[in-house]
Amino acid sequence: MITCDEFFAEFGDYLENRVSPEVRKELELHLSQCRACHVLYDSTCQTVKIVTDNSSFDLPRNISESIIGTVMAKLRADRA
Amino acid sequence: MSFLATVELGHEFLPFAAFEEDSGAVPNLLRAQSLLPRAIEGQVILEGAVRSRGVISRAQKERILLCIAAARRDVCCASLARTALRSLGEQDRQIDRLSEDHRRVDLPAAEAALLDFCLKLALHSLSVSISDIERLREHGIDDESIVEAAVTTALAIYRCTLSVGLHPEPDDGLWRLPPGGEVSVREPAAHSSSGTRSQTGPYVRAPYLSPLTFAPFVTLMNTHGFIPNFFRAQSSRPDLLAAEVELAALVLLPEDILTRAQKETILLAVSAANLNSYCVAIHGNLLRGLGMSTDEGDQIALDHHRSSLSDPDKALLDFAIKLCSQFSDFSLEDVVRLRALGFTDLQILECEVVTALNNFANVLQLGLGIEHDFESPRAFEQKKLNRRVVFDRRIGDDPSSSSIMAQAEDPDAELAAQACAGSLEAFEELIRRHSRLIYRALVAILGSQDHAQDAMQDVMLSAYQHIGGFRAQSKFSTWLVSIARNKAIEYLRRRKNEVSLDEASFDEDRDLRPRELQDWGENPEQAYSRSEIRQLIEKEIMALPAKYRVVVMLRDVEHLPTEETARQLDLSVPTVKVRLLRGRLMLRERLAPHFAAAARSAVR
Repeated sequence: MITCDEFFAEFGDYLENRVSPEVRKELELHLSQCRACHVLYDSTCQTVKIVTDNSSFDLPRNISESIIGTVMAKLRADRA
Repeated sequence: MSFLATVELGHEFLPFAAFEEDSGAVPNLLRAQSLLPRAIEGQVILEGAVRSRGVISRAQKERILLCIAAARRDVCCASLARTALRSLGEQDRQIDRLSEDHRRVDLPAAEAALLDFCLKLALHSLSVSISDIERLREHGIDDESIVEAAVTTALAIYRCTLSVGLHPEPDDGLWRLPPGGEVSVREPAAHSSSGTRSQTGPYVRAPYLSPLTFAPFVTLMNTHGFIPNFFRAQSSRPDLLAAEVELAALVLLPEDILTRAQKETILLAVSAANLNSYCVAIHGNLLRGLGMSTDEGDQIALDHHRSSLSDPDKALLDFAIKLCSQFSDFSLEDVVRLRALGFTDLQILECEVVTALNNFANVLQLGLGIEHDFESPRAFEQKKLNRRVVFDRRIGDDPSSSSIMAQAEDPDAELAAQACAGSLEAFEELIRRHSRLIYRALVAILGSQDHAQDAMQDVMLSAYQHIGGFRAQSKFSTWLVSIARNKAIEYLRRRKNEVSLDEASFDEDRDLRPRELQDWGENPEQAYSRSEIRQLIEKEIMALPAKYRVVVMLRDVEHLPTEETARQLDLSVPTVKVRLLRGRLMLRERLAPHFAAAARSAVR
């Protein structure tokens, strides 16, 4: 079985689903037998899910409309 | 006699001694590279690996090398393979018949099929598909043999490219290549794919090799920051891939003659001329890692004459492209032209070796159906599609064409064209569509929501001011983010707050190992309200260093694909991947006290 360091070396690509079937098999065998790496994998996936699902840093519509309004007014005035 | 100057290296030069011991003589093709001993050393390592142990016999490999050289009418390389075959006991008459047409020779069916495959790969590499591999399997040829055959074919192309560029005397000056007709390539019948491999590749199994203990992978991590699929796909033959890594390191890494950027530019331009999307994507990314802008790299892949390279560098690319794609017209005049521009014979030789290495990689990638590490530029894919329609090639064979066409479409294209033509309404619609993207890019770099709101107006006005310079080569949204990025960096500079998002050495962030390893339970966020979670995430993302924050923001908050994130930030994909993982792990570490605690109290 691969070591925790070897698991970690492929971890970024595994999270992004970018590993070959052969590498995936090795990583999943390791995950099934190593609690520390399992917790790491699970909590990192949850972190990504929480960040992805909560539309953070949303620009309030009134603010964006006000900025776009100011910009377009200036451009129309310049053109006139 | 050869196109380029040579020097005497003598018998004490170890690669010559090694070749001589194995084959009885040092071929003129190697002597012609004597100005650049490290290139000879690399080629001898590769040749040695190909000819040593393997599933395919040495004689079979020499027959592959002979047939490909003969099909390309390359008397020097054919003579080289002929000498080797004679030393293995092959009769002259048999060699001549093989050189004319291998199908007239009574070979076992499996070997004939293997030769058909190798010739198709050498002469029409873009039309190789899974059907060709299935046909080999029907003859009982296994994955290891397929890798060996593909590498041998690629070596034949490496030799032939150098032979065209150097024009050495054939080793057997008296032998004449028998007249051969146009080599037709046998098309395999349609096969229904069985087994677990996809139709598009990778075509062969690639057993796991450790990136931490397999020395060639360690080398690649140190030099490139990642292990390209090109090498991973050959892991059933670690000896061959180790030789290729050594050859590549000897040819590409030293900067004593041409710079690394010049060599990567040759690899990019020649891969583009060969219509090889895989290699275009990888060398475009490596050039970004060396500091070239995404737009400049895309332009070189599309048409290097319109890039901002110097005139001599453009001439060097013309030379390399002619060497690979119009080799029958290549002559001493091409060398003389480069000399007149101030290039030395040593520089010209290195350019030829790099071009040969490029052709080696292009052929091998297509022969094994090696999957892309990165997406290639959309404008290049468009050009490739047009070129392939013109040449009446079978587009359906290309694994990447349909998915890349979809990617090539920019949903903003029509509005962007109208805005370029002066429509304010179209421009207004575009900035409305992308206001949140601009905002998030600004927040990510500036690290403040208030400052981001202040900067938005400037970004939008600047976009309008420069819309005439927008070229549909990149997506409109990519172009818009590049304006936001530049404005944000300008803001920070004015506030004397230097933030660098640039590429850095690969080992900057190696120490990523997490410390906090407590279980988070099933749904850790349930302990908090949605607004509490949002506040927490925003606070912790803002606390990340800018270079990680901006990648996490575009990839995970704005949901952009990794490739698009890299293009928008003008970074290479490997750099984005390292920063994304680092950013995600830092966030995980910061969120752990909240969610691990929540999980513990939920259990209680």
